[in-house]
Amino acid sequence: MIIKKFLLIAAIFAFYFLTIATFANYPSADKIQDFTLTDYNGNKHSLSDYKDSKAIVIIFIATECPVSNAYNSRMEKLFEEYNQKGIAFLGINSNKAESVERIKEHAMENGLTFTILKDEKNIIADKFEASFTPEVFVLNSEFNILYHGRIDNARNETEVVTKDLENALNEILAGKEVSKKETKAFGCSIKRI
Amino acid sequence: MLDQKNLRMIFYLKTYLLIQLLFFLSGITSNGFSQSEAATQAKIINVSDLEKIINQNKDRALLINVWATWCLPCREEFPDLVKLAKVYEKEIRVLCISVDDPDELDSKVLPFLKKQNAEYDNYLLKVVEPEDFINLLNKDWGGAVPATFIYDSQGNQSQVLIGKQSYEEFEQSLKKVINK
Repeated sequence: MIIKKFLLIAAIFAFYFLTIATFANYPSADKIQDFTLTDYNGNKHSLSDYKDSKAIVIIFIATECPVSNAYNSRMEKLFEEYNQKGIAFLGINSNKAESVERIKEHAMENGLTFTILKDEKNIIADKFEASFTPEVFVLNSEFNILYHGRIDNARNETEVVTKDLENALNEILAGKEVSKKETKAFGCSIKRI
Repeated sequence: MLDQKNLRMIFYLKTYLLIQLLFFLSGITSNGFSQSEAATQAKIINVSDLEKIINQNKDRALLINVWATWCLPCREEFPDLVKLAKVYEKEIRVLCISVDDPDELDSKVLPFLKKQNAEYDNYLLKVVEPEDFINLLNKDWGGAVPATFIYDSQGNQSQVLIGKQSYEEFEQSLKKVINK
C-alpha cells in the first residue's frame, strides 16, 4: 500500500518534470519583470515606461561584435519604421568591457538613434537568459515574450531571405499571433566576464 | 700540370656545382613548406556533410568547436585547442568549424589557421539557414560562438561549452569522455 502510494507520487513528479523538459527550448524566460536601466546620457528608463506601446523590442547589442555591427543600419531602419507605428525599441549593452562612453561614441558613429541602455554586471541579460549579440526579445504590454531570436537569417545583407523580426512585428500590429516565435542565428557570445 | 686555364675551369665548375647544390636544397625546403601549408586547409561543407561526419565518428571521442575569425574569444582560445588536439591526438578527434563567409576563406580563414599551425580537421560551413546547423549540434544552443560540443566514442553528445574556455576547462571536459 505504501509502495503504491510512493510509486504514484514518483510518477506524478516524473510526469511534471517531463512536461517541463518537453516545453523547454533554447533557454529564455517567458515573462520579464519590470527593470530600470540608464542610457548613455544618464537618463533612467524602466520597462514600464513603455507599457502603452503596441510592443517593446529589446535588442542585446555590442560595440565590438562584427555580427551586431553588421546589423546597425538594419536595426536603425526597423526602429525608424516601426517606432512611428507605436512600437518601442530599446537596445541593451551587457558586455562587461564596453563602457558607457564607448556605447555613446559607437551610437553616434553608426547613426543609432534608438535608446541604448547599459546593463552593468549583465543582470538584465541574465533575466532574459540572453546569450549572444544581436539577440531580440519582443514583449507585449504585460512583458510576455512574443518573439525571441534573430533579426533576419543572414549577417550579410545580400543573403537575407527571411526577415524574421519584421514578420513578427507585422503580425503583432495586425493583431495576429506571431507564427514563428523562436529563431536562432550565429552571434558573438555576450561577454559576462 | 694544371695551367691557369684549367684552374679557372675547375673554379667555375666548383662554383656551378655549389650553386646547383644550393638550388637543390632550397627546392627541398620550399617543398617542405608547401606540404605543411597543404596540411592547413578548410573544406567547405554543408549541414548534411556535418551530420555524416558526426555519425561516422565511431573510433574516438569527438570535439567540435564552432568559431569565426570575427569572434575575438574564438581566436583567443584557438591556440589551446591546437595544443589539446596534439596532446590528446589518440583519444579524441578535434573538428573546428568556421562560420565565416565562404567568400572569406582565402582572405581571412586560411591565413588565421596557418598562423595557428592548425593541423587537425578544419571545415568552413556553407550556411543557408543557420538554424539547421545550430539545431543539429544542440537544440538548446542559441548560436553564440565560440561553442564547443563534446561527444563520446559512441557518438553521444556529452557536454556543451558556450563561450571561451581555458586549456584546463577543455581538458577537464575531455577527461569525462576519454576512457582511461
